[in-house]
Amino acid sequence: MAKIEFQNIHKSFGTTKVIENLNLTLEDGKFNVLVGPSGCGKTTLLRIIAGIGPATSGRILLDGVDISNVPPGQRGVAMVFQSYAIYPMMTVRQNIEFGLKNNRVPKAERERRISEVSQIVGLEPYLGRKPSQLSGGQRQRVALARAMVKEPTVFLMDEPLSNLDAKLRAAMRSELVQLHKQLQTTFVYVTHDQVEAMAMGDCIILMDQGRIMQQSDPETMYRDPDNIFTAQFIGTPPTNILGLESESFKLGFRPEAISLSVNPAPDKAFTHRVSILTREMLGAETLYKLRLRNGQEVMARLTDSSLMVGDELYLQVDEENLYFFDSEGNRVRKTLSQQYGAMLERVTRSHES
Amino acid sequence: MYSKHTGLDLRRGVTSGISFAFKLFMLVLFLFPFYWLIITSFKTYGESIVFPPTLIPRNFTLAAFEQVFSRLNLWNYLKNSIIVTLSVIIIQTLVGVPAAYALARYSFRGKGVMLALVMAAFMVPTQITFITVYIMMSKLRWLNTLLPQIVPFGASAYGIFLLRQAFMQVPADIIEAARLDNASELKIITRIMLPAARSSLMTVSLFSFVGSWNSYFWPLVMSNSEKVRPLTLAIERLKDQDAGINWPVIMAGNMIMVLPVLVIFLLLSNKIISAVGYRGIK
Amino acid sequence: MVAPAMTFLAIFTFYPLANLVYLSFFRYNLISDKVFVGLTNYRNLLFVKKDFLQALENTVVYSFAVVFFTILLAILFALWLEKDSWFNRFIQKSMFTPYLIAMVSTAYIWSWIFDVNSGLLNAALALIDVSPLRWLNDSSLAIWCIVIVSVWKSLGYYLLIVLASLKSIPREIIEAAELDNTPWLRKFVRIILPMISPQIFFLLITITISSFRVFDSVQVMTNGGPGNATDVLVTYVHRYAFQMNMRVGYASAAGSVLLFILMVLTIFYFRFLGRKVHYQ
Repeated sequence: MAKIEFQNIHKSFGTTKVIENLNLTLEDGKFNVLVGPSGCGKTTLLRIIAGIGPATSGRILLDGVDISNVPPGQRGVAMVFQSYAIYPMMTVRQNIEFGLKNNRVPKAERERRISEVSQIVGLEPYLGRKPSQLSGGQRQRVALARAMVKEPTVFLMDEPLSNLDAKLRAAMRSELVQLHKQLQTTFVYVTHDQVEAMAMGDCIILMDQGRIMQQSDPETMYRDPDNIFTAQFIGTPPTNILGLESESFKLGFRPEAISLSVNPAPDKAFTHRVSILTREMLGAETLYKLRLRNGQEVMARLTDSSLMVGDELYLQVDEENLYFFDSEGNRVRKTLSQQYGAMLERVTRSHES
Repeated sequence: MYSKHTGLDLRRGVTSGISFAFKLFMLVLFLFPFYWLIITSFKTYGESIVFPPTLIPRNFTLAAFEQVFSRLNLWNYLKNSIIVTLSVIIIQTLVGVPAAYALARYSFRGKGVMLALVMAAFMVPTQITFITVYIMMSKLRWLNTLLPQIVPFGASAYGIFLLRQAFMQVPADIIEAARLDNASELKIITRIMLPAARSSLMTVSLFSFVGSWNSYFWPLVMSNSEKVRPLTLAIERLKDQDAGINWPVIMAGNMIMVLPVLVIFLLLSNKIISAVGYRGIK
Repeated sequence: MVAPAMTFLAIFTFYPLANLVYLSFFRYNLISDKVFVGLTNYRNLLFVKKDFLQALENTVVYSFAVVFFTILLAILFALWLEKDSWFNRFIQKSMFTPYLIAMVSTAYIWSWIFDVNSGLLNAALALIDVSPLRWLNDSSLAIWCIVIVSVWKSLGYYLLIVLASLKSIPREIIEAAELDNTPWLRKFVRIILPMISPQIFFLLITITISSFRVFDSVQVMTNGGPGNATDVLVTYVHRYAFQMNMRVGYASAAGSVLLFILMVLTIFYFRFLGRKVHYQ
């Protein structure tokens, strides 16, 4: 049971302000993923929760209790570091046991927990080994076991999979999700990889330059972005953003929302004549780079692989797949009907001119 | 809850206060002897032995320095120190750089043995080799020259070792590229390797400068006459002349000896400090 | 390209080592011919004359004290001055300064401070009403004065090395220990010390070797005295080789013993302590 609240958090390193006045609540029991480009402040937030990189000002609450001044070891949190930070001079067992000994957990209890945890992560045969005798994946498991054995109320993970090869990473991804199901505790997981975030998180917190751009479940994050940043960060290739002549707002649509045809259908909200610049056949899907007549380029992701470079076609997008953004880059939703209606009308008319 | 915090802050304050006071004490402990050296050299003999000692000279005088120059042919000692130190640095560089380059970049028969020998030589102190070298020098009739203070230090095992480490860090691709550009080995060394190893080269030169300038035991053994002795040995002569020890004169002599090193350190202290730290963890 | 360097090392480092051991089996005074005497020099050294054992004992006491205090203080100060601030850097620089100064000058400055009649220390003692000590003239104190000077001179250097090795510990390891609720002392003993043990081990060897070759400070401050209370191996070898009728063979035997000790220490360190050292 642990809800984490950040209240008016400021953090600066020297004169560089990394986070300014941030407020955020991470719900209990969720698999929270902090995602964003490097330098966005996600790891900084994680370290604030852990207490190893305290905030410059502001409060951090754990289940309503201010823990801003509680030492890291007494917060009931455990962390898996990107570099694993396994104690190189201790055996696997000693690594897992170290925190328990420090917290004066009785020997019988320690033994029970170690055997339980090492069974879950599959380290039983390696308990007597030194970290230098383990593979990357095994070290990762040691780091995990060391965190799990403390039975923390909050699990913190700082890009724990980034040092693994692609295959192992995919396997560990689903293992971590299962682990979360099993433990039912609050996870806070930091990554720069939006695919990882989407695949694992119940709740994604997307950050940029120390600010929270959007906090939602993966589905909403993908289908209903709050702003251009979210629309472009989540999904590959990123959402196409178009500026329209003599308009201050911007238009966005995902590459997979595009349909291309020789003859335009009449009922589409957005229609534009395009020519195909490049074609990348990816297997199930094909990526096309398209040039609009005004020179702007967009990406399309289609299951149809029959189109060829140089083809001249009509690009069309349904109204429900169009996103409108104001001049600040924030989304204009249909609920603001007046603005939205005006924008839609202009877009629908734009190809006729 | 708040009172607990203020209590904590108070304790922190007291701890950092004690820490600060102790740091000041450390500063005094390590800097005061230098201060004492400097002010004593400006005192008169009479003032140097008064009780309690004066922390600031009452009569600021250069008399001690004048005595140093009148009693000794100081220029001669100074000249010897400079010649020996410069020669050692130059020869060590000329001998050490090619050796370090070859040991870093080529593979050849006996390389492993040579590396082991360099490491072993690093461990051998001059205080063990001096008897044999003395016999050699006396057979060569070199003891009336500066050569015994220079030639035995022609190769610095430590320097070769450190330069080799630095050379090995230059990416092989760069050297390959230079070879494709038809650069000679000499050009590769002077244009690529040495600039890349600049800080190591500086460290090596600095430590050979300090080692050579400060050396006492070796010239004491390897010189037959005052004519070929360096500054380190001159100060002893200041001591022997009087019945009572004239500390201002001795301190003045030491001032002259210490000054070049101190000036270099003040100019380069940041670089030196980081070089030493790096060397420790290499 | 390696030939010139190897030639220098062969002539001035390795040949002298072999020759030293060779000479130790002869009676030789540089003028008359060498006379082979077998182990006589060693017998005289170790069983007949008492002064060599005294010098050996002094050297061992001195070295042990210097190694112990230097490493202990270097670690303590490094932990204390670890935080990067201009004041801490200034202290580090100040502590390093004596390392660059000639041991001769250092020895003269401290002789002056230790001076019985007008030295600073006795003046300070007088201020707090303690009767003056004889420092370098006191046969039981003198060696400790030399220890103090040696530690004072080189502490700053070793401090920098320990500091650099502390900084080389991955930050995450320390943070992981904090998250594991590790008490300060336990963190030091179980995490920090093992992590810097390769450097400490290296320091142990270098400080021991440099302590066994102590000469300059003794020569300047006490000349081995009072009596032979501060006579050390190198002053002993030097005295017999150059002052006492040039007994080169006998001095070589003493030098060989020093060589032997240094070799044994080096091997000992690598073999036995090396096992307990954590290498990443």
